[in-house]
Amino acid sequence: MKRLVLTAALMMGLTGAARGEDLVSGISQDIIEITSNYTGTDIVVFGAIERPRAAQGRAIAVVVRGPSTLLTVRRRDRVAGVWVNRDSAKFDGMPSYYYLASTEPVDRLAPPRVLTRHGIGAEYLQPAAVGSHHDARPFREAALRYLKQDGLYKEAPGTIDFLSETLFRTRIPVPGEVARGQYNVEVYLLRDGEVVSAQSTPLFIDQTGIERRLFNLAHNAPLAYGLICVFMAMLLGWISSVLFRRPA
Amino acid sequence: MEIYLPVAEMSVYWLVMIGLGLGVGFLSGMFGVGGGFLMTPLLVFSGIPSTVAVATTLSHVTASSVSGALAQWRKNAVDFTMAGVMLGGGVVGTVLGVWLFAHLRRQGQMDLIVSLTYVIMLGSIGTIMLRESLTTLTAYRSGQAPSSRPVNHVWIHRLPWKMRFRQSRLYISVIPPVVLGFFVGALGAIMGIGGGFIIVPAMIYLLRMPTNVVMGTSLVQIVALTAITTVLQATSNYSVDIVLALLLVIGGVVGAQMGVRAGAKLRGEQLRLLLAIVVLTVCLGLLWGLIAHPGDVYSLTLGVA
Repeated sequence: MKRLVLTAALMMGLTGAARGEDLVSGISQDIIEITSNYTGTDIVVFGAIERPRAAQGRAIAVVVRGPSTLLTVRRRDRVAGVWVNRDSAKFDGMPSYYYLASTEPVDRLAPPRVLTRHGIGAEYLQPAAVGSHHDARPFREAALRYLKQDGLYKEAPGTIDFLSETLFRTRIPVPGEVARGQYNVEVYLLRDGEVVSAQSTPLFIDQTGIERRLFNLAHNAPLAYGLICVFMAMLLGWISSVLFRRPA
Repeated sequence: MEIYLPVAEMSVYWLVMIGLGLGVGFLSGMFGVGGGFLMTPLLVFSGIPSTVAVATTLSHVTASSVSGALAQWRKNAVDFTMAGVMLGGGVVGTVLGVWLFAHLRRQGQMDLIVSLTYVIMLGSIGTIMLRESLTTLTAYRSGQAPSSRPVNHVWIHRLPWKMRFRQSRLYISVIPPVVLGFFVGALGAIMGIGGGFIIVPAMIYLLRMPTNVVMGTSLVQIVALTAITTVLQATSNYSVDIVLALLLVIGGVVGAQMGVRAGAKLRGEQLRLLLAIVVLTVCLGLLWGLIAHPGDVYSLTLGVA
């Protein structure tokens, strides 16, 4: 579904190119490697507007989407004096990370119809499937509240720097606790509330080196991995008892 | 300095984790318990996902119990028959516990069950220990000899399948130790504990084992049980983080040795009184978390849990 929307957006961009204003963009790195001292990093997204028209009525939005995930929201109720999880709602196909940098606040970029279609703005993201027996809206609001609180969903209007009339860039933080996988960096050129050009670039975040090997071992050879953990714990316990043997 | 945990998929301050291992290890060396009941809540509090916390704490318990178990073995204070019988029940309990763990996590009731179990277990054991140690201490103070152990529970002696436990000088049914082992095994898998704080009082008050073999036997059984549970958690839930385990273990084994030394300077009743206070404090904290109004009634889980 998302891919379809993107293709449509790209085609709109292409047809737009024939008429005039268009967009080219790139990112500073297309692979982020998670190593033992990884605590998050920044990527720089830059772009240029080709055959620019008047700056009036033009807006830029840069969206970074993490691999999609399942969100489970639970609501606690008081049962016999104790707070217990009762109702829940599941939202499938939501990005695990979402960042929007834009020239204007979300509501001034485009009408809700356009924002929903392209998934611009955290409030306008549509889950692929909703699993709920009741009104899911408060659960959805709670999910967005938590994701924003944890820094996984963020909107940063006014963070796109124009280096010249047509050249722009923005710095996007990638926090330390993000899911691994394929991210998409999407750059939108909007004019008078419509998307006139869009470009999408994949960004890969993955573990590397020893972290990678340990993660693979834990999932591909869990028995050996578990035995290594036990052996390590017992060995260190034994070593310490030998080292500290001398009675005080 | 931060270090990335490959299974938890997050970075932590490694000095904080070694410090946690050291502090809990100190208490466990001092009181002769594994310390899992403190470590799991502390890890969750520092932002480690509760599934990883529960599974990884077990390695810390294994490591800090190994040195204690070896020391007791050298003193010939281990009843291997008893440990073996309890382990029989323990393995079954662990398998069930690991399965229950995965099931509860899917239902979203994991945290509630863990907290409730903790409150009940810690509350009852803390109260028993507090009362017992206070009675003994006041008895000492008033110059009386501490009262002898009360008579055995009669019903335990009516149970069938009796067996001789030479080291413990006991001839009792295998049912109570097997049931105890089963119970502790299941709890260990759900709560990430070795269960020393349950086994030790149960061995003294329920099985009537002589105090000198209680410590060694429980430690041996804890080492074996946590080792098995670690492997089971690693193979069924993929939730053991080896880097986190290493940090906790390094701090833990050093802290445990320091704790043993500090503990040797205190009398048994004083130690039990202190432990009772620690246990009851953790219990009250968890109870408060259950009954106090949560700031936000909603909670969010990412990914397929």
